[in-house]
Amino acid sequence: MKKGDRFFFRNAYLAGDFKTLSVALIVIIYLLLLLSVSIAGMLRYQQLGPPMRVLAWSVVLVFTCNVLNKLFSVWYHNNAPILHIESIIEFIFYSWVYYRLFKGRFLKVLVLVSIFVITAFFCFNAVVWQPIGSVFPTNIYLPTLSLFTIFSLLLFRQMLLYPLKVNIVKQSAFWFNTAMLFYATTMFFNLGMTNYYSQHRWDNYIYYFWYFILCGFHVMIGIALMTDRKETQPYT
Amino acid sequence: MEKVKSLVYLTAGLFTLIIGFVVYFVVLYRNRQLKNKQQREKQKSVFRQELLKTRIEMQDQTLSRVSREIHDNITQVLSFVKLNLALVNTPDEQQRTEKIAESRELVSQAINDLRDLSKSLSHDHISRHGLVKTIEAEAARLNKSGIIRASVITEGNIIPLGEQRELVLFRIFQESINNALKHAAAKEFKILLQYIPEMFNLTLEDNGSGFSPAEADKGEGSGLKNIENRAALIGAAAVINSAPGKGCQIKISLNPLNKDHYPDG
Repeated sequence: MKKGDRFFFRNAYLAGDFKTLSVALIVIIYLLLLLSVSIAGMLRYQQLGPPMRVLAWSVVLVFTCNVLNKLFSVWYHNNAPILHIESIIEFIFYSWVYYRLFKGRFLKVLVLVSIFVITAFFCFNAVVWQPIGSVFPTNIYLPTLSLFTIFSLLLFRQMLLYPLKVNIVKQSAFWFNTAMLFYATTMFFNLGMTNYYSQHRWDNYIYYFWYFILCGFHVMIGIALMTDRKETQPYT
Repeated sequence: MEKVKSLVYLTAGLFTLIIGFVVYFVVLYRNRQLKNKQQREKQKSVFRQELLKTRIEMQDQTLSRVSREIHDNITQVLSFVKLNLALVNTPDEQQRTEKIAESRELVSQAINDLRDLSKSLSHDHISRHGLVKTIEAEAARLNKSGIIRASVITEGNIIPLGEQRELVLFRIFQESINNALKHAAAKEFKILLQYIPEMFNLTLEDNGSGFSPAEADKGEGSGLKNIENRAALIGAAAVINSAPGKGCQIKISLNPLNKDHYPDG
């Protein structure tokens, strides 16, 4: 059975291939979730503070990349170029959100330097180690996920140093940061376990776990976009 | 099967660790919020107490000035009127008319002085007229009294700084006038109010005897300490420059938009 078939779902169902069917359904659910979060971000754009405006755009771009990703898989049976581009776009945008959220000059410089270094590394990696046209960019994900974990811990520290009067569950920075910590640590774990899953032929487990992380992450990003208020946002 | 089990445990362990960390952070954050709230309440209470003290001091100063004014000026004028009226019984018609006219003029002067006094007795002068007008009125009164030459210069667009902040600033102004008159024997007093975007400066300068800042720190510098403490209370910075024989300059700077240190802002 070929992906891109007009009757893909019907054929999979008739063939009793429930694994393929369930993965496809999860992907559709994930894309719908991304679309909802993108729409929510754009609808609330005027009420959002500067960091969450960047986040709203990042969700739109991630959604676009994911749609292109699926289309490339169907049309060219190769989505590596899109995955490469998505990896660097995600890193630059989420880091930029951190840049807007951090108060200290040192942390802001740290974010800018890391954006510069990772972008340079991305270019080198895409040409030399993991060619943009054929290999999944794990070399990019591993350092960026580590940086996200560090950024999120630093932001948690900053939040403790400068607590606000507002209830923490009504603070967009908290939801964004929790989402980032969750995404960075679990995705790191997942990438680290990929070879192990493959050896034991648990390929579906990778998919389920992968999309479970992404869905959880974007639900929290959605909450961050829904709770943010420009006038109560202190970190600019 | 064993491998699946250990994988499940590993994944569950990771999730528990993340959730545990976030819950711990939330608890820690709420504790910080509570601690901050208590600190803020304490700060508010200190601020209110200081404000009350400032108001009482201002009222004291106003009352003693009124008392002095009544004793030195109005009573004298009215005594003179009484004396004049005692001489009205004279048979000389022209002299009588002159005395009555003079008395009328003196009574009119006394009425004006009383009107000015009643205005200065009103303690909500600052809230009604603002800091600049109140300082200008005070400078006019000082000039009229002849004890010191006061000049006021205002730069920039005047914006309200908040009643409580203006009250404290006015009290600082009064304190420095007192210092200039009592301790420095100054003859001139310059007041500069600068309204720059996101910054307000109040500069008070006299040409009195001045003092050595080191000496002031050691001895009777409580007036100057008061100025510094009051400035800090409204989130302002006070810089005091002086040297023996070179007068004294007090500069108060504050950001009108910054209300972090100002509990009732």
